[in-house]
Amino acid sequence: MMTRRHTAEETKEAMHLIVGEMYDRIVKGEPPTMTLPVRTKNNIGFDSKLGVYKYGKKKSIRDATSLGSAKQLLRALHVVEFIEEMLEAGKSSTLREMYYISEAWGLGKFGSQNESNNLAEDLEIVTKCLREDFKLRPEEDGARMIGNLTLRERNRRGEWMRINARDDVGDSGYGVPYNVEAEKIELLENDIDFIMAIETGGMFDRLIENGFDEEFRCGLLHLKGQPARSTRRIMKRMSEEWDLPVVVFLDGDPWSFRIFASIAYGAIKTAHISEYLATPTATYLGITADDIVAYDLPNDDLSKKDIEALKAELTDPRFADGWWQNQINMMLELGKKAEQQSLAKYGLDFVTETYLPEKLAELGLA
Amino acid sequence: MSGIAEKLASNQKQVAISEFFEKNKHFLGFDSLARSLITAVKEAVDNALDACEEARILPTINVAIEKLDTKKDIIKLVVEDNGPGIPQKSIEKVFGQLLFGSRFHAIRQSRGQQGIGITGVVMYCQLTTGRHTHVRSKIASEPTAAVVDIGLDTRKNKATKQNQGREIWYNPDGTAKEHGTEVTAQMKAKYQKGRQSVWQYLRMTSIVNPHAEITFTDPEGEVHHWPRVTERLPTKVEGIKPHPHGIELGQLQRMITESTDSRMTVFLRMNFSGVSARASKELLVAAGIEEKAKPKSLNADQIRALLEAFQGERDVNGKPVKLLNPPTNCLSPIEELLIKKGLSKTIDSRFITTLTRVPAVTQGNPYQVEVGLIFGGNMPADKPVEILRFANRVPLMYQQGGCLLTKAIESVDWRQYGLDQPGAKGVPKGPAAILVHLASTNVQFTSEAKEALADNGEVIEEARKAMLEMGRGLRKHLEKKKKMAKTKEKFELINDILPAIAKKSADILGKPVPDLAGSITKIMSAVISETETVWNKETKQTDVSITLFNYTSRTRAYTILATWPEKNGAVMEGNETGGRKEATGVWAWKLESMQPGERTVIKYSLSGLERGDWTETDVFFRGAQDVIGASKMDEKFLEEIRRQERALTEPNESDAEEDQHAQPVAEPTVAPPSGQTTLFGGDA
Repeated sequence: MMTRRHTAEETKEAMHLIVGEMYDRIVKGEPPTMTLPVRTKNNIGFDSKLGVYKYGKKKSIRDATSLGSAKQLLRALHVVEFIEEMLEAGKSSTLREMYYISEAWGLGKFGSQNESNNLAEDLEIVTKCLREDFKLRPEEDGARMIGNLTLRERNRRGEWMRINARDDVGDSGYGVPYNVEAEKIELLENDIDFIMAIETGGMFDRLIENGFDEEFRCGLLHLKGQPARSTRRIMKRMSEEWDLPVVVFLDGDPWSFRIFASIAYGAIKTAHISEYLATPTATYLGITADDIVAYDLPNDDLSKKDIEALKAELTDPRFADGWWQNQINMMLELGKKAEQQSLAKYGLDFVTETYLPEKLAELGLA
Repeated sequence: MSGIAEKLASNQKQVAISEFFEKNKHFLGFDSLARSLITAVKEAVDNALDACEEARILPTINVAIEKLDTKKDIIKLVVEDNGPGIPQKSIEKVFGQLLFGSRFHAIRQSRGQQGIGITGVVMYCQLTTGRHTHVRSKIASEPTAAVVDIGLDTRKNKATKQNQGREIWYNPDGTAKEHGTEVTAQMKAKYQKGRQSVWQYLRMTSIVNPHAEITFTDPEGEVHHWPRVTERLPTKVEGIKPHPHGIELGQLQRMITESTDSRMTVFLRMNFSGVSARASKELLVAAGIEEKAKPKSLNADQIRALLEAFQGERDVNGKPVKLLNPPTNCLSPIEELLIKKGLSKTIDSRFITTLTRVPAVTQGNPYQVEVGLIFGGNMPADKPVEILRFANRVPLMYQQGGCLLTKAIESVDWRQYGLDQPGAKGVPKGPAAILVHLASTNVQFTSEAKEALADNGEVIEEARKAMLEMGRGLRKHLEKKKKMAKTKEKFELINDILPAIAKKSADILGKPVPDLAGSITKIMSAVISETETVWNKETKQTDVSITLFNYTSRTRAYTILATWPEKNGAVMEGNETGGRKEATGVWAWKLESMQPGERTVIKYSLSGLERGDWTETDVFFRGAQDVIGASKMDEKFLEEIRRQERALTEPNESDAEEDQHAQPVAEPTVAPPSGQTTLFGGDA
């Protein structure tokens, strides 16, 4: 089932199902409950129809027999009420605003921003609505983009603006807004061969300064670390609607592997909407574990946390294929990690003149 | 006992005392500028406390330190007390003569057992600043106070006096002072803060002297005040005669040469404790000395033989001579309740347990170990616990690592009692302070600096046992705290959160608010008790309430039991639920039928206590189903209390010795009350 947008009425109805579950349990003289899928790597599986990883069948029941769970239920009710108010008033708020608004919820107030984010996700999962349906916006801003591609964005005044992400933008590129759905953005045309997603701002700027996008006919996308939903969503749209390959260029460490998995296979936290966010055709370009050796890159020792993360990845279904197992084991064996920018060891142009062309050639893109 | 005193006496003729002082200042306590100041305060305060104790006066002591010259480290120290005062003609003896006083002869627990006391301070001041020490003292029977500047003639070992006179001594409020002594000294010294400071010394002194009121004005003008928390003076200690097991050759020689007794049997019985008529004869047989022999006539070999008989190295009929233990009424423990008060006035905490062990004897010397543990509050959780060591009520502030008392603490695996202790080694970490007090007629130090107690297997074991018992108290407290937190959460859940869920979900759905009774029973499915023990300022009583909720679907019956400080003279009032006395300090209420959803409250007030005396009530239950917030009654615990009751009411059945002089140690007829920590620490 493809995730779709819901009307205000549908959203309300879906939310009332959750509220009804709690209410009915109390009427029956039982502790109120809320049923959720388990949100860990142990409960994600590959959906061959959608080509991404989705939550499996494991459910957890959050019931009000402990203080912590009971508070979660109460918070969920407050959030539902708050969303209903916004739907009625035609307003929206950021997750952070909701966190602050919860100050007035007394017993139902959030302990941390993380709690409110998680609860918003819980609601998405249970109702099958999107947080856009809830009128909740993320705080994080989306990515930056540069390249010869043209899109249309509806501005605050409701007018459509045509933007070419090479000619109509400055050095910082086109800023991807938090909402990249059809009502906000239309992809018009492009003259590029592929899209390259880049982890760090330093590397993004290096490629722009070296004119890499024009020379290699590509669109550059700055991920800003773990990419926001809108970043992943626009990547997916460009890849699908324009039929463009996506290559991902990250640091060479366990956390980059996770970033890639969330782009290509779906993130564990958002596995309920993987088919909406993930780009299954994306390819990992580097830095790979064998790049560290092959290019003799300056490196750092893996920290205890790095090693733990790598070991966890070995049992993560998303990394089950041979290539990944190989890479992870190799990194563990080396005991080393390397940053994208360590390529500068060979000069500022090495990355654009040698490294990337060699790596892209392997993929048949250069 | 030998040590400095004799060294001083014998060296006196050949070496100028000042030179001796200079050479030995490390063990006289004047080896560093910081320590010199602490020593000076200590000598003055010890004198004040001793004088007050002897005169049965509740001590009020003021200590003030002023920096006169920061560059040259010149400090002025003033110590004032409300003791009996010193008659004018004795002042020079007290302050200016070495070895004055009777301490060196009597065997009893006293603060200063050795050393040169306040005279050392006078000497130190003179040597470092050239200044004399100003003394003002008034006795009640005279209208005016005597004042004098005391110095020391180090050649003649005598005091020198200057500016002698009399004056009226006014208190700061203008009234005339009735009695007391004030010492003003100027010395080269450094004022420091922290673990080894005057402040810490006074704080520790105040903990073990809860009957003293101590005020300290530091060089910055800040006033630190440790109030008196009890009106009870320490019991007056009796001097006892030496016990044969604890005597040294030199001392025996001196006693024998000084003796005027007619025969050895009399000498042994009159001059030693623990020697019965039979034992005196047997000792002489063992030593090969005639009963009729005149003590003075003994030669060196005979004296040595007698000492060997004392020490069990010479037998009679193949057995060493059996001696009675020395009496232990010469000890003055601080006692559990007072340690508790002393600790709680100086350290803010959540939990205190204290324990005084029964007196014991090692090598002919009676001793007694007392411990206290204070936990929680503002103390840092990641640092080693604070160790408060005391010998005969005197704080030990240096050489912590080498001290027997520290070793006893380190010998315990504190991890099982809720403190951190990596590898079960060393001083545990956690928000706690541990107090150890050794009271003894003969405290053995590792060195003449008198800052660390020397190893003694028996004493360590005694202290260790006390620690283990306190540890158990702490563990129970922590477990209880955890349980209480859980109960509190459950109550928040059903009283606040659940009704909010019901109301909010009903509002959203536009339906009526549902009844919660069923959900509550399912969530709790238990009987829950909540106990409150609070001090009531208005009535000056401790109010206790035990609330029981039956959150099960069936009728329940229980007997609820609670501890209360009956032994400490508390009176239970306003107990409308009735019940009966189960044992000393344990009251019981029978609750025949508690209906589902019913709430039962047991309420009473305790009078005859002071604030802080009773802060935690233990609640137990007898019944089939668990009661959250109470413990199942441990019938063994009750049995133990009843056993103690019987032991106290029945006459003491220790063997009546035919000998009048020997006072056998009253061996405890019951094991040291394991319930005592419980009843005092407020835990079971």
